[in-house]
Amino acid sequence: MNIVVLASLYCLIGYGYVLIYQVSRVLNLAHGELMSLGGYFLLTIVIMGMTVSPLTSFLLAFILLLALGLVIYFVLMRLMTGESVFTAVLVTISLGILLRGLITLTWTSQSWFPLQYMGIRASSFQFIGGAQIPTFGLVKVASALGVFLILTFGIKYTRWGIKMRAVGENPLLASQRGIAIHKYYALAWGLATSIGGLAGMIQACDSGLDPGMFIIGLKAFPVVLVAGLDSLSGVIPAALLVATAEILAINYISPQASDVAPFAVLVAMLLIRPWGLFGTKEELERV
Amino acid sequence: MSGKKLRIWGMVVIGILLSFRLTLAQEPYVVGISMAITGRGSEIYAPVKDALDVYFKEVNAKGGINGHPVKIIFEDNAAEPSKAASDAKKLITQDKVILLMNASLSSTYAPMIQTAKRYNVPIFFAGAVCPNEVYPPNADDIQFCSSGFASKYDSRFAMSFIKEQAKEPVKLGLVSMNIPISRGEIDFAETLAGPLGFVVVEKEAIPPTTPDFIPFATKIKNAGANWVYSWAPWATQVKTFEALRKLGWKGKYLAFAHIQAEEELERLKDDDFFVFGANGLFADNTSTHQKIRNTAAKEKTIYPYTQLTEGWLAAMVLEEVLKKTSWPGTPEKVKAAMNQLNLDMKELRGGPLVWTPNNHFRTVNYYRAYKWSSNQKKVVHVKEWTPYTVK
Repeated sequence: MNIVVLASLYCLIGYGYVLIYQVSRVLNLAHGELMSLGGYFLLTIVIMGMTVSPLTSFLLAFILLLALGLVIYFVLMRLMTGESVFTAVLVTISLGILLRGLITLTWTSQSWFPLQYMGIRASSFQFIGGAQIPTFGLVKVASALGVFLILTFGIKYTRWGIKMRAVGENPLLASQRGIAIHKYYALAWGLATSIGGLAGMIQACDSGLDPGMFIIGLKAFPVVLVAGLDSLSGVIPAALLVATAEILAINYISPQASDVAPFAVLVAMLLIRPWGLFGTKEELERV
Repeated sequence: MSGKKLRIWGMVVIGILLSFRLTLAQEPYVVGISMAITGRGSEIYAPVKDALDVYFKEVNAKGGINGHPVKIIFEDNAAEPSKAASDAKKLITQDKVILLMNASLSSTYAPMIQTAKRYNVPIFFAGAVCPNEVYPPNADDIQFCSSGFASKYDSRFAMSFIKEQAKEPVKLGLVSMNIPISRGEIDFAETLAGPLGFVVVEKEAIPPTTPDFIPFATKIKNAGANWVYSWAPWATQVKTFEALRKLGWKGKYLAFAHIQAEEELERLKDDDFFVFGANGLFADNTSTHQKIRNTAAKEKTIYPYTQLTEGWLAAMVLEEVLKKTSWPGTPEKVKAAMNQLNLDMKELRGGPLVWTPNNHFRTVNYYRAYKWSSNQKKVVHVKEWTPYTVK
């Protein structure tokens, strides 16, 4: 169960990386910071007493993050159109540093616990055989599956999803066919930010919030590379693989090895299939 | 020269002398601090700035020390050693500080100490873990420390406290963060556990970047621990405890009381979660605690008043040292004052803070333990001040 819960968190973070890369070929290295912002937005909403319902708080924070993603694209990333991929990646690194500073300035360095302000106590569910799973562990699993299903359906079967794929595959042809490519790049940024932020919200409820939370976003990065940078469907097996390696390392090697395990999986994957489990082989050359 | 001209010139000269004297009186004692206001671990260190700010605002408003204001120059090293090194050099060579301070991760110590030694400026560790060089009998010439937590002493109290509290044979789980200082202390605790008859059933060194504490807690629970002791940064301590509780673990947990402890005891409301430390919590409600609380409210500090004790203590030490440093202040005079400090801690600790030429830590370390009481619906102390002679 520990593997599934950890994999779910990695999935939620991984979707955002993949979504942006799939559509705009940019590796968003500020994703960890944007994930943290999810937790901080939720915290602010509950502290300000904008709503008493946890579900509404989550929804409000999700919408705010969606808007933030759109703003980031139109204000910052749109300027990178036509620039090299490397330049765009550097901009996301700068964005991450900026966000980290802003987080500390706004919410200070102290730890926060959004659940405390919601008046909810962390609880667990008992399964057969006495195994227990924390409530927010279950929320992680349900969210990871739910988001995957919605994204998969949306990208495959809806008009905006098809256009998004078209923009990702061939932006020049897509724009010649009358698709407003910037709209779909922005949508990808908005969705990625809000999904990453959802991971941050759940994590904040599960084990608190502090400025160092962005590191989790970086820890999930090997999952994306193992999955294949442009493969949404590869995220779940990759996350399971990385989480399994991490939990096995904790249990059978040493707790300290859990930090190294994801990267060991990544190195192995790079040796065997550099383009990832379900990634496109050509993508590797393009990167 | 006519009498009128003489009077005018006399007044001019007197005016110049007066303004010169006023300028001299305005000359401050300059102290420099490189600290982690942002970055890793800043949740522990940043409140020290808050406390120093409000404390010396009040001191300066009352005319300063020995007729001179105190100017503290803050530099944010973001817990980065390279930044700490450049801060130290800048503070000493450009700002001409007479005392360096550090409140940051232990990785920032070496570069700062190196610079301080080169210029022979004393360095005072406040709110950060004390380096080994301040302990007796061979304390380093320029290093001093007032911080509440102390490796090799904290675990002695912790183990004896568990022994005292335990009603059944102790199966002990040990938790550290995977950083040298924390791991070292937990290894030390393990050496103390055996002779006390404890069985160490599990020892976890949890990486700082861990997103999920459940796997570590699962191991501790499955090992059958009925007591867990943790000496690590607060997040590691409390997240491990919460993970254990989520798994339905019913044992007792002892953690070091970092600055967040009091608020956290109230948040968790768990009768079997104990914290211990060298600083009294606000539950003691001493006159000094009331003063800190009132000052924090008046000055609208960034951090809650419950987190200001460590910084307040550092400010008290700094004030006392500067009082004994005659004007004009020099690093040598500061060092001499620090070598004979005997400061009443005004009930924030169990006894005075005493520094001697060969002991820059303290001669006696006092501990107190606290927990949340569901019956009394407040934080209560469960063990009185216990002295440990530092040899």
